[in-house]
Amino acid sequence: MIKVEGLYYSYSNDDNFAVKDVSFEVAEGEIFGFLGPSGAGKSTTQGILTGLLQLQKGNASVAGYDIKNISRKMFNKIGMSFEQSNVYSKMTAKENLSFYSKLFDVETRDPIELINLVGLGGKENIKTGEFSKGMKHRLTFARSMINNPSMWFLDEPTTGLDPAIAADIKDIIKEHNNKGVTVFLTTHNMFIADELCDRVAFIVDGVIKLIDSPKILKLQYGKKLVEVEYVQDGNVKKETFSTIMQKDKDLLNQIIADKEILTMHTKEATLEEIFIKVTGRGLV
Amino acid sequence: MLKRIWTIFIRDLTVNMREFMTLYMIIIPLVLAVGINFLSPSINDTSVNLALIENENPEQAAYFDDFANVELFSDEQKVEDRVMSRDSVAGILPKDNGYYIMTQGNEPESVLEYAKLLNVLYEADVQLEDARSEIIEFGRTVPPLKKMLVNMLLLLISMLAGMLIAMNILEEKVDQTVSAINVTPTSRSAFILGKSLTGMAVALFSSIACLLITGFYNVNLGQAALVVFSSTILSLLIGFIQGLNSDDVMEAAGSVKLMFLPMAGSIAGYEFVTGNWQIFFYWSPFYWAYKANDMILSKSGTWPQLILFIGIILAICGAVYALLAPRIARKLQ
Repeated sequence: MIKVEGLYYSYSNDDNFAVKDVSFEVAEGEIFGFLGPSGAGKSTTQGILTGLLQLQKGNASVAGYDIKNISRKMFNKIGMSFEQSNVYSKMTAKENLSFYSKLFDVETRDPIELINLVGLGGKENIKTGEFSKGMKHRLTFARSMINNPSMWFLDEPTTGLDPAIAADIKDIIKEHNNKGVTVFLTTHNMFIADELCDRVAFIVDGVIKLIDSPKILKLQYGKKLVEVEYVQDGNVKKETFSTIMQKDKDLLNQIIADKEILTMHTKEATLEEIFIKVTGRGLV
Repeated sequence: MLKRIWTIFIRDLTVNMREFMTLYMIIIPLVLAVGINFLSPSINDTSVNLALIENENPEQAAYFDDFANVELFSDEQKVEDRVMSRDSVAGILPKDNGYYIMTQGNEPESVLEYAKLLNVLYEADVQLEDARSEIIEFGRTVPPLKKMLVNMLLLLISMLAGMLIAMNILEEKVDQTVSAINVTPTSRSAFILGKSLTGMAVALFSSIACLLITGFYNVNLGQAALVVFSSTILSLLIGFIQGLNSDDVMEAAGSVKLMFLPMAGSIAGYEFVTGNWQIFFYWSPFYWAYKANDMILSKSGTWPQLILFIGIILAICGAVYALLAPRIARKLQ
């Protein structure tokens, strides 16, 4: 669905590249996470792929369209949810979506259905200037689905949303992906990426450091240990057991059978820990 | 493409009709047109008003009534009060064995001369039967003042259209919605045309409405629309660039307001500068638009002349477009 080869981009049109030799592919129906700290080049790459920035060097194609000679028809197939909410503040939520639906050549979704889907039901006739930041963000997200995109670009789709709404948004993404929609997710939220993505790319200073699935990364970089907190003779004890060594496995089984377990955690590495390990950088 | 241009146009128009400032820009030319009707006289409304003392000389009053609007008052003080009011009234009052003419001092010379003449004719006992008259037409079918005010109003409308565009572009900029439009099949030219259509439609509608309100329904409205169309193009270009360059409404309005200077200069140049010096205003599209409008309003021009003026306006706008287009495209990205 997306093919990128040797992508470079410089905002100052010199050798000071925001994106350097970026190459990757995204298969149809995949959720691909593009992870990195602020200023890493995530949005620049996404900007090029969505035609918002001019392709300077390299090759890229999206949904079968060459980004070098971008065709406006491509936008009938793609949806884009921006990190910064960008809806008309002098128009109502419904008017916003109705307006955008008329700009596409393909069948579009019912604005009210989308408004309800993102939890804004009953607010359709309120001017978005009166919306909270989170509500605007949800409407921006809803708008990106208006043309039933087969390629969906999501830039920080859950930023600024409360956990319940963020969970709903994640469900909507999963649901659409199950229907075959390819998702290019740009985020610095490793939990979202871990939960949603089939594969992730770590990008730092405009360079991709690693591309793999979160599961493989965890296996590769995590420790095969379990930490157990249990009660013995009225005291709380904490021990760590290997999940590979037979002796530790037997001991763990015995504790589970005989003792009162308070907490039990695998020592699997988080994506954030892996990111820091691989890139030597944090995500902020 | 046409569907998208129309969609953008309807969106802008809907929002403009809801906002006070943009609605004001659309409505104010119509209010000014009504104001022009009140303030400027029609060509037939040129009668001289005379104030006399009632019963002082009924024969004289009856004589004057054949040639002017006569108002009668009970005493000299009341006549004086009437003369001191805002409009042009001459008082004719008895003094010694004759009459004198009382004026406020700001009456047109013609009113004073007419009052003097009437008084002399009465004293010389000249009757209508003794008069031989001939109507001489100077080719003026509308009062020059009214024509000038309406012409200025037409240029003002094109300026307001530019301001309207600046406001609409600014809205897109503040709400950051241009990037959302850029990820739809809407091309940049469709976006620009859709935005421009709002300004152009408002300019054309307001201009034609103002011509009708001010009584110019006999002029060639098609010619007038062509001049408005061509002169509005420049305002739209300026509106686009100022909207993109500004960060708030006041800044955008202030920037577009700068265009009033060349506009006012062009009008002053055309009206007050002698022929040899008018060459210094040829660079201004407002000069040519004012000239073309003047021709249309006085019904004195020909199509070749009009096409020449419009051609000059479009050529100047083309040069401005060549200068601004790259900046507009860059800013819209």
